[in-house]
Amino acid sequence: MKQSVKQYLGAVLWIAALLVPVVASNSWISILSVFAIYAVVALSTDVVLGRAGMYDMGHAVYFGVGAYVTAILNVQYGIPILWTMPIAVVVSALVGIIFAAPIVKLRGDYLLVATIGFNEIFRMVLINDVGGVTGGPDGIFNIGAPSVFGYQINSQGGHFLVNWVLLGVVLVLMNNLEKSRLGRVFRYLKEDELAATTLGVNARYYKILAFGLGAGLAGAAGTLFASELSLVGPDSFVFMQSVTLFAIVIVGGQASIPGVLLGTVLMFVVPQVFRDLAEYRYLIFGLAMIVVMVLRPQGIWPRRSRPQ
Amino acid sequence: MDIFLQQLVNGLTVGSIYALIALGYTMVYGILKLINFAHGDLAILGAFIGLTVITSLAGSGGAPANWIVIVAFVLAVLMVAIAGVLLEFTAYRPLRNAHRLSAVVSALGASMFIQNGIMLIWSPQTLTFPEGIMPETTYHFGSVIISATQIFIVAISFVLMLALYLYVNKTRFGTAIRASAIDQDAARLMGINVNKVIASVFILGPALGAIGGLFIGIYYRQAVFDMGWIYGLNAFIAAIIGGIGNIPGAMIGGLLLGLFSSLASGYISSTWQQAIVFGLLILILLVRPTGILGERVADKV
Repeated sequence: MKQSVKQYLGAVLWIAALLVPVVASNSWISILSVFAIYAVVALSTDVVLGRAGMYDMGHAVYFGVGAYVTAILNVQYGIPILWTMPIAVVVSALVGIIFAAPIVKLRGDYLLVATIGFNEIFRMVLINDVGGVTGGPDGIFNIGAPSVFGYQINSQGGHFLVNWVLLGVVLVLMNNLEKSRLGRVFRYLKEDELAATTLGVNARYYKILAFGLGAGLAGAAGTLFASELSLVGPDSFVFMQSVTLFAIVIVGGQASIPGVLLGTVLMFVVPQVFRDLAEYRYLIFGLAMIVVMVLRPQGIWPRRSRPQ
Repeated sequence: MDIFLQQLVNGLTVGSIYALIALGYTMVYGILKLINFAHGDLAILGAFIGLTVITSLAGSGGAPANWIVIVAFVLAVLMVAIAGVLLEFTAYRPLRNAHRLSAVVSALGASMFIQNGIMLIWSPQTLTFPEGIMPETTYHFGSVIISATQIFIVAISFVLMLALYLYVNKTRFGTAIRASAIDQDAARLMGINVNKVIASVFILGPALGAIGGLFIGIYYRQAVFDMGWIYGLNAFIAAIIGGIGNIPGAMIGGLLLGLFSSLASGYISSTWQQAIVFGLLILILLVRPTGILGERVADKV
């Protein structure tokens, strides 16, 4: 399929999805609404993991930073949700950059372990209520709904639209990244860092940039997540969440937009649908991760190397 | 001073358990360059199997006889070793030549599978171990208390680690294990059956892990299905501190981590103990990513 046809199909699918609140039941609206948020976080994980090739297993931290920034600003200072988003993006990106700066020099598995460590420290900070702003193990309640041009969006359908607009924007950004110089630098660093460095690419700078970018996007998703659920708690941003994000990228296909979206469907939507299986859910989930990897080690919808 | 000595004793006990579990991580990493995320869960599986053997053979009342405890250890080791080999065969072997992250996700899936398998077979609640699995005697040195259980755990761990060290360094098959860790292809060319070596590592590691897991159960007198990941993570940190892939390193790393975290919880803060451990980990990764005993290897030449 040609690239332009793919994009066209994607746009049609996105517009079709906007009709979901009109036709679908409430439970489906809420599942697909949260799906859009997780898809954004997964795509942002992919920037670091799939595109720049750094084994980031702590991406839930940046998602969490965004969500908590929105929660604190909205509940304590009464700032409207959508106004908190730019602040959430900047703070998350800064946290990403500050975390990444010392550790990007680590290779592969060492970086992975360091990000796990950050995720655990983040969880402890939230639970122990550092600075008295995180609400401890209970989190923060009563987060408001976004308002657009003075209209409070309280309905499920409203949240759905806002989330899907963000997803649409992020998809366009990803598509641009794919074609831009920056995207090519990331790919080059991933494939052969030594060669990239000898050609004058500042590896450290671009690696930190990848973390900042991925973290900022995750922060934006965090804002909408806090507003969608109207509460945030430490449990949503623990190591297991980072593992799920990591698995979404690898199971779906690294640096592949349709792959990551499909991965999000499999790892997020499917488990929601099979809620009835209750305790067997994660047993099957774990088994499925092994089976998919054994059958399709490159992911379900891998990126195709373009012949040129 | 007394607090210090007491924390030293406790740290030594926990540290030798970490060391036992860390050996499994480091041996697998040494050969496959894979973080076996399921290893901690295998260790805890050992605790649950041991608990079932003890409670079903000893009945509800009274301390279990010595032979029952021995049978519990033997069965836990055997079954977990079998699980380890099955894991390698089904989840890791097909991915040996695939992208490294595919095996990592497979390992994460296996971890989830084992953890929830334990939950479904046993219980989602915390299970308690009966009293008197090991003698309840305690020895007092000044105000420092050492229990017989602690002495048992440390002594058995040291014997096992020494045995493994001798096996890997003094026997013919041990040499094959070390050779495969250095260069799989060269080892294969020298006529070493690398598949057999890898299978053996997935017997030895989980077997030692199962003993470590059962020690955890006996020492803390409880087991819960999802505790594999936190003990596994600590053991893995121990392996990194010692130098991942290095067997004596895992032993030293385990002991050091045990002492460090027990002193940290005694002197700094017990709520922040785990965060302090992670801070130490990140610091070590930054200063000396190859760990204490790891050799410096050039990334690319």
